[in-house]
Amino acid sequence: MTDVAARAWALTRLTLVEAAEAVRKGEVTCVALTQSALDAFAAGDAAVNASIALDRAEALETAEGLDRLRKAGRLLGPLHGVPLAHKDMYYRAGKPCTCGSKIRRVFRPTYTATAIRRLEEAGSITVGALNMAEFAQNPTGHNAHFGNCRNPWHTDYCPGGSSSGSGAAVAARFVYAALGSDTGGSIRLPAAMCGVTGIKGTQTRVSRYGAMPLSFSADNVGPLARTARDCARVLRIIAGHDTADPTSATEPVPDYEAALDGNLRGLRIGIPTNFFLDGADPEVLAAFEAAIGVLEGRGAATLRIALPHMDATNAYAAIVSRVEAAAIHAQWMRERPQDYSVHLGGRLYAGYAIPAVHYVEALSRRGPILRALAREVFGKVDVLATPTIRREVPTLAATDIDAGAPGAVEAMSAISANTRPINYLGLPSVSVPCGFDSNGLPIGFQIQGRPFAEARILNVAHAYQQDTAWHESAPVLHMKGAALTRP
Amino acid sequence: MSDDVGRLAEEQAKLWSGIAPPNAAAGEFASGLAAVIAGLERVRGDLLFEDEPSSFEAALQETKERTP
Repeated sequence: MTDVAARAWALTRLTLVEAAEAVRKGEVTCVALTQSALDAFAAGDAAVNASIALDRAEALETAEGLDRLRKAGRLLGPLHGVPLAHKDMYYRAGKPCTCGSKIRRVFRPTYTATAIRRLEEAGSITVGALNMAEFAQNPTGHNAHFGNCRNPWHTDYCPGGSSSGSGAAVAARFVYAALGSDTGGSIRLPAAMCGVTGIKGTQTRVSRYGAMPLSFSADNVGPLARTARDCARVLRIIAGHDTADPTSATEPVPDYEAALDGNLRGLRIGIPTNFFLDGADPEVLAAFEAAIGVLEGRGAATLRIALPHMDATNAYAAIVSRVEAAAIHAQWMRERPQDYSVHLGGRLYAGYAIPAVHYVEALSRRGPILRALAREVFGKVDVLATPTIRREVPTLAATDIDAGAPGAVEAMSAISANTRPINYLGLPSVSVPCGFDSNGLPIGFQIQGRPFAEARILNVAHAYQQDTAWHESAPVLHMKGAALTRP
Repeated sequence: MSDDVGRLAEEQAKLWSGIAPPNAAAGEFASGLAAVIAGLERVRGDLLFEDEPSSFEAALQETKERTP
């Protein structure tokens, strides 16, 4: 490896916060960071298929402009010169936005998503659009139209979805962070399967203006990045009320990064005794319990506690997003059913048979169930911890519904068992890498707090990452597969 | 039961939305609604509709993290 190549590779190993700091101090140019990201895609994306489109020339032009600004003593914000790429469902005026679909392959929105605008106003450089599940509707990473995204730790395995390219691109060290979206786990699942950190905020915490809708009641915008600190920086930028999205919360946005002190003394962690550990694989359980031990070592106390109304939560969570997605897609399902993948066409179809009375019932119970949880659980503990996924990461082949893999429908729905209820409850949740299974694939655990407790759960994740190195592990990509590196 | 559910789902989708099964997998997904129905049966009577106006957003505010 030449000195130049070695330096470019070293740049991709930085965290987002380190990269931004290096730009601020003048230790690296925005062009060098952006070129290293584009080179990383060029070298490794044939194996992973994390991207749908890259804007090389425009990204480098933007980087040059940001370098001129910095030389003039001006920084746009806390992401000045940092290259990012995002799930291809965030609108950018005049840019193609496929939503991972054939139906929107030529769609060019005329306006830009608020989250993208805020990131770019903070100085980030958007280098391209990332692969995703078709219309953000599978937890595996399959995509019949743009090719399956693959797990950079082992390309036979699922990267997780629906923000598959976001998880894979961050894990493969192509970019420092990426926006995903989370309606039933679509940020946390790829974060867990790819070994990165991902957070969905409280429902309504981040504006959804310019984000492809899937379920108005459960959609969330959030980042996947390498560390909790990186996520804290990105979330602070994108969170907060947006007049263009009247459903976004007016709650003030704290400085999440400044609150990361790693101090867990006095923190009470609840571990559910019902539902979330049912049928969990032994390796997943062992990694989860070891993670809890690390948090206890930092002064946290744990309490095993039963969560109320889990049967109802699951029954209702299975209805809300399914019905809302079916309503959004009804016209295309009538006129262009052949343009959906087998999996998505089938999945949407079931939504048309759910009676409206049960949809209304499901929505009306959200508040009472959340209040019961707050009363019976968050009166005793500050956060809840569970595995993000109960089972080991499955292969793409075993979950390929389009190919008719036996048991694929059940295997796919099991992936999001622990994440979907959290969306129904509207709670903030962060997934953190906590080990590897015997196949060499990452394991993650998720931490939930009360509504608007993003600062607290990020601090728990940050504390964990002070004593562990799972988040520093990076896969070594090869063109025909991937080898592993372990901490 | 799941075969019946699949057949009834097909009728519902056609009658209310004018949508036909797009592929063979659609029948499997529709039959999977039997599990959703069973889940709803299990929780009948657990929770009642509240008399007073409310919203989920209000519940988020009521139950939110309070900074000291």
